[in-house]
Amino acid sequence: MNIKRYILTFFTAAAVAFGASAQGDTTPGLVWSTLHALDYEVFAGVNIGGASPIPLPAEIRSIDSYNPNLNLQLGAKATKWLGKDKKWGIGLGIIFESKGMKTKATVKNYGMEIIQEGSRLKGNWTGRVQTRYSSSLLTLPVTANYKINSRLKVSAGPYIGIAMNNSFDGYVYEGYLRENDPTGNKVSFEGDSRAAYDFSDDIRTFQWGAQAGVSWLAFRHLSVNANLTWGCNGIFKSSFKTITFTMYPIYLNLGFGYAF
Amino acid sequence: MKLLKWVSCALLAVSSVACIQNEPLNAECDIVKASLPDDILNREPVIENDKVIFIVKNHISVSSLAPEFELTPGATIEPSSGTVRNFTTPKKYTVTSEDGKWHKTYTVEVEVNNTINLNYDFEHVRQKVTGSYTYDIFYEVGPAGNEVMTWASGNPGYALTGSPDLKDNPSAFPTYQIGNGRSGKCLALTTRSTGDFGEMVKKPMAAGSLFIGKFDILNAMQDALKATKFGTPFVNIPRSLKGYYKYAPGETFFEADSKGNLVEVPGKVDKFNIYAVFFEAVKGMEMLDGYNVLSADNPNIVAVAEINDADRVAAGEWTSFNIPFVYRAGKDIDPQKLIDGKYSITIVFSSSIDGDYFSGAPGSTLLIDEVSLVCLNQDEL
Repeated sequence: MNIKRYILTFFTAAAVAFGASAQGDTTPGLVWSTLHALDYEVFAGVNIGGASPIPLPAEIRSIDSYNPNLNLQLGAKATKWLGKDKKWGIGLGIIFESKGMKTKATVKNYGMEIIQEGSRLKGNWTGRVQTRYSSSLLTLPVTANYKINSRLKVSAGPYIGIAMNNSFDGYVYEGYLRENDPTGNKVSFEGDSRAAYDFSDDIRTFQWGAQAGVSWLAFRHLSVNANLTWGCNGIFKSSFKTITFTMYPIYLNLGFGYAF
Repeated sequence: MKLLKWVSCALLAVSSVACIQNEPLNAECDIVKASLPDDILNREPVIENDKVIFIVKNHISVSSLAPEFELTPGATIEPSSGTVRNFTTPKKYTVTSEDGKWHKTYTVEVEVNNTINLNYDFEHVRQKVTGSYTYDIFYEVGPAGNEVMTWASGNPGYALTGSPDLKDNPSAFPTYQIGNGRSGKCLALTTRSTGDFGEMVKKPMAAGSLFIGKFDILNAMQDALKATKFGTPFVNIPRSLKGYYKYAPGETFFEADSKGNLVEVPGKVDKFNIYAVFFEAVKGMEMLDGYNVLSADNPNIVAVAEINDADRVAAGEWTSFNIPFVYRAGKDIDPQKLIDGKYSITIVFSSSIDGDYFSGAPGSTLLIDEVSLVCLNQDEL
């Protein structure tokens, strides 16, 4: 898992920066930063959410279980405050994070096509679907920041994400397939019989979206953060036709940060 | 706390678009049940995806019957259920789904008991063609050139392997017709691997098979032995099953382990099977299936003709077989039941004898031609 090494490297770098800054507020770099109205922050958090069509298509009849998984996020952010009163600022971040979920859903007449090693099975599924999604991303957000007061600031802006390590798989069970379309042969999958799928290779590498959040400075250096990120393109490549609707990644991030 | 307010606001935004919508109207257009009034049926109706067969009792006039249908909820049928029609020839019905977007045309046939042929030359196939595959369906014609019986095979199940080789290529299926028969064309059965999808559903192999009955694809994935339904009404007394075969076992024998993966069995040579079963069709077991078609303790089996194990070997030239029906102890034929069409027969050919348990040698090929059921007539009883 390359991503773990990236995260480790990033952590080390952050620790070094942290160590350097911890030597005191008189560090020449920080003085320079203060003079130029630059803030730095490192943060960590968890992502809770999922990849979901919006709105949920009528084919999805119920979500029977949902597990957000433990998706960690580590990042750093620099903010350049503008103007005389320094209320507005532009932020640039770098985040290593994972996004994932595990769901069980019941669907009706859900159009699907499974392609594996050239073999192709197309049809409409009525029954249960288990899905597992996980993705490791390098995310670069650009945000507009506004200080409501000395402790509270809000931010919003676009982000780009590069998905580096992806999996999207699952299986269908307890239901039936209509081969090709709703008039085709009916093939039952009850009991132990299930059909697995794996669309890991079809995850889009380049993702983008918008995020908005709030940060509350609880102590002098420690902030509590909440961010909602909303993918604007689906998690799958546009050439991927198996799932007939676009799956957008939507995650709420909760965490804390250390402001230098 | 302001933070909490922000978070709940954000969650609200997500949940507002994540609601379950109203249930869509049904897209399916199936005949779920079919019936004829007045207790005139000899068997349960046979309902397939685009075909319904009523088998009626003797001396029933088929020229004016009003079948009734139960459909997928919300679907409609044209002509409507209960319409009187002349079933001397098969009739078409069109079912439209509740959402109005899908239509399916059914052929509805009414058969009387004694329409089965006794000689099978495998000259007649029609093809099931879709955008992704084409396979052969064998059928028999009567003296008037009309189709009197359709053979069943596992081909509809094999189609689900989705292999790109199946496009426009019937001979990539386990059951197909080839040209060099003993006379004219013949039946070819080849045991084949089912590829990735087959492994996924723990059905890693498919033997070539042809049989009298129906392949119930509904069960093909979850219970393959239940998918093969054997038998059709038979009003003659079978004496023997004869014909010609060639056989070439595949190179390497495999059997499926509990995970559905094929494990090589070194040194084992594949065998084919040819058999016929004559049985009494009773309520609850009008057709036999893979579990009970040959079982010694099936009380409804009257007589079985099964090729000798010593003959299940490679044969490069056309080799004749003539297999007598062996009556089971204490079993004989009730003449009245025979006349009333209460007995059924099935004939089964398979390129791997244990293919239904996913054991065999991929590549094993059985060719069959010029098969006959040698019978006594009712009046010879």
